[in-house]
Amino acid sequence: MSAQPRSRWSPAVLIAILLAAFVMLAPLVWTLLLSLKANSALVGDSGAALSPPYTLENYRSILQGNQVFRWLVNSLIVSGGTTIGVLILCSLAGYGFARLDFPFRRTLFIFVLLGLAIPEQAVILPQHQLFAELRLHNSYPGLILPGLAGPFGVFFMTQYMRAIPRDLDEAAMLDGASRLKLFWKVLLPLTLPAQATLGVFTFLGTWNAYWWPLISATRSDMYTLTVGLASAQMNYAQTSGLGFLMAQAVFASIPIFIVYILFQKQIVRAMAGTAVR
Amino acid sequence: MPFAALFALASCGEVAGSDDRAEIYLQRFFGECGAQFGSATDVAKVEGECGIVTAMINKFNAGNPDVRVSSNVVAWPGYPQLSAQMAARDPPDLVTMHTGMIPDYSAEGLLEPIEPYLAEAGIAPSALTEASRGAVTIGGRLYGLPFDTHGGLFHINTKLFARAGLMKDGRPVLPTSPEEMIAQARQFTERTGKPYLIQSLVGDNAYAARNLYTYLLAQDAVLFPSPRRIRLQTEQAERIVDFFRAITASGVSTRNQDTPAAIASFMSGEGGIYPTGTWMIGQFEAEANTPGRPLHKSYTVYPYPRLWGADVSYVSGHAWVVPKRERSPAQRRAIGRFFRFIAEHNFDWARTGHLPAFKAVVESPAFKALPHRSNIAPVASTGRPLPGGVRRQNAIEGLVGEEVAAAFNGQKPTKQALADAERRVNALLAELD
Repeated sequence: MSAQPRSRWSPAVLIAILLAAFVMLAPLVWTLLLSLKANSALVGDSGAALSPPYTLENYRSILQGNQVFRWLVNSLIVSGGTTIGVLILCSLAGYGFARLDFPFRRTLFIFVLLGLAIPEQAVILPQHQLFAELRLHNSYPGLILPGLAGPFGVFFMTQYMRAIPRDLDEAAMLDGASRLKLFWKVLLPLTLPAQATLGVFTFLGTWNAYWWPLISATRSDMYTLTVGLASAQMNYAQTSGLGFLMAQAVFASIPIFIVYILFQKQIVRAMAGTAVR
Repeated sequence: MPFAALFALASCGEVAGSDDRAEIYLQRFFGECGAQFGSATDVAKVEGECGIVTAMINKFNAGNPDVRVSSNVVAWPGYPQLSAQMAARDPPDLVTMHTGMIPDYSAEGLLEPIEPYLAEAGIAPSALTEASRGAVTIGGRLYGLPFDTHGGLFHINTKLFARAGLMKDGRPVLPTSPEEMIAQARQFTERTGKPYLIQSLVGDNAYAARNLYTYLLAQDAVLFPSPRRIRLQTEQAERIVDFFRAITASGVSTRNQDTPAAIASFMSGEGGIYPTGTWMIGQFEAEANTPGRPLHKSYTVYPYPRLWGADVSYVSGHAWVVPKRERSPAQRRAIGRFFRFIAEHNFDWARTGHLPAFKAVVESPAFKALPHRSNIAPVASTGRPLPGGVRRQNAIEGLVGEEVAAAFNGQKPTKQALADAERRVNALLAELD
C-alpha cells in the first residue's frame, strides 16, 4: 500500500486562498449576472440578478449599435499600434542605454526616468495643443503617438539588457557582426520574455485608456471602445440601464480577457518581478 | 516604417468630403440609440430623451435636403470633449449644454449670442418662458436656445399616501409649512410603516443643493450678492438646513441612500415622496402603467410645496448653444432653420418629462393632456435659475451639496456646514480670472 501524497497546502491556507479567490471573483460574477438581466428587472432590486430568467438582450443591444464594431477596430488599431511602437522604441532605447557609450548617457537616462514622475494630466494641455497644431486629433496617429513616449518601457528594457552578459556582444563582434546585427540577431531574441511582458502591459493599458481618447477623438467614428461605450450611456444608466451598463463592461473586457488567457505566464512572471533577470 | 504607416492612417480619421449642402456639425449628449431609432423620423412615435432627439435630427435632415446635420454623440456630459475642441479651435456648430454651464463658456468669449439666429428663425425671445429665458440670459444677451426647463419635483406614491390618509379628492395633501410637513411625515410613517421622504444624500450633491436653493429663492434670499460671492451664512439658510436635518433625524426619511438606491426605493413602493427632477417622470410613469409593479396606478408628481415665502423652484435646463467659429452665410441660415425646427418640436421634447421652453407649448392643451403635466406646468413660470453671471455653477452645486448633505445627515452642525460651504465656494470663485 503506497502512501498518499501529502497535500502541499494545509487546510487553513487552502481556505484562505479560496476566500481570497471568492473575494476577487465575486464582483466579476456579479457584473456578469447583472449583464444577463433585463434593465427593467433590475430597476427596483439589483438582487434580481441572482435568479432567472436571464437574457442576452443587453448584448444584442450593444451589437446592434451603429458603430460598435468601428470602435472595436479603432481600439485594436490603437492598442496594437501603440504596443508595436513601444516595443520597437523601448528595445532600441534600452539597447542604447545598456550597451552604447555616448555623451550625457547617464544624464539622458535620468531625464527619461523623470518622465515616470509626471502624470498624464500635467501635460495634457500642451499635448492637446501640439496635436491640434499638427492637425492630428481625430486620427490614429493622434491616439497612438502619445502612448509611445513610455519611460517605464525604456527603463524596463534597459535593465533587462544590462542583465545580459557583455561576453555575448564581444563574441558576436569578433565574428564580424555589426551593431545592428548584434542587436537584431543576438540581443533581441534574448529579450523576448521582457518584450512579451512589456507588450501585454502596454496593450492592456492602451485598451483601457479613457482620458486622452476622450479629448482627442471627438468624432464618434474615431472613438475607441471605452469612449464609444461611454457615449452610448444615458444619464442615470446606473439605475434605468444597469443591465446594459454591465453588458458594456463585460463586452469591453472580452479582448482583455483573451490577452490575459494567452499571456498569463508572462503576466504572472512580470507581477512576480521575475521578468527582469 | 511603422510610423509612416501610422501617418498614412491619419487620413482614415477624416470625415469624408461633403457635397453642396450646407453642413452643420452638431454635438449632443442624451446617449446613442442609433440601433433603435437610427432611421426614425416620426418623432411622435419614439420615446425617451435619446429616441426623441435622434428622431428630431433625422426629421430635420429629411425635411431640409439643402442642409446636412452631422451628429456626434458624446459621453455624458461632454464638456471635456467640447473644451478640447474649443482649445483646438475646431468646435461644433451646435452643442447641447446645461444652462448652468453657459456662463463658463460665454465668459471666455467662446459662445455666440444667438439673437441673430433667433431673428433668422423668426423666434421672438418673448416667446420663451421666464424660467427658460432667464437660464440662458447673461448681461442682457441670450447665449443659447433653451430646449427645456428642468428642476426638482415631489414624486409621490399615491397608494401609500392614501393609506396614510393624505389624499383628498384624488390629490395628495401636501404641506404648506415646515411644521405641517413634519406632522404629515409622522402620520405617514405611523400608518404605513414606511419613510415619508426618500432622500438621496450619499454621493448626490445636487439633491441637497437643489433643496437649499429652492427654499432660499422662495424666501427671496440673495444667494449671490455678486457673481463672485455666495452668501450662505444666513438665518434663511439655517432654517432650511435645520428643517431637513430634523426630518432626517426623526426617522421619517431614508438615510444613507445614493441616487440608484433612492430611485429603486421609490419604484419599489418603499416611501411616500422622492424629491428628484423632471427627468424621472417618464420612467416612473412607465412603472405606474405596468400592472404588477409596486407603483402601478400609484404615481403622481407636483412641484416642491411652498414651505416658506413664495411658490418658487430652483430650475436649470438644457439649451442649444453656438460656439464661436467661422461660418458661411449658408451655415448660419441652416442654424437659424434648425432653431426654428427645435422650437416647432418643443412639445415633442416635452414628452421626455422636461418642461417646455416656450410659453405657447406650456399653455397648449396637448401639453396639459400629457400625464401630470398640468400639475407641474406652473414651474415654467415659478422656476428661477441662479443669476446668469455666476460661473462654475456645477462645481458650486457640488461644494454646497456636499456640505449641506453632511448637515442633513447630522454629520456636521448646520452653522459649520453653511460656513464651510460659503468659504469653499468663495475660494473657488476667487480663483477665476
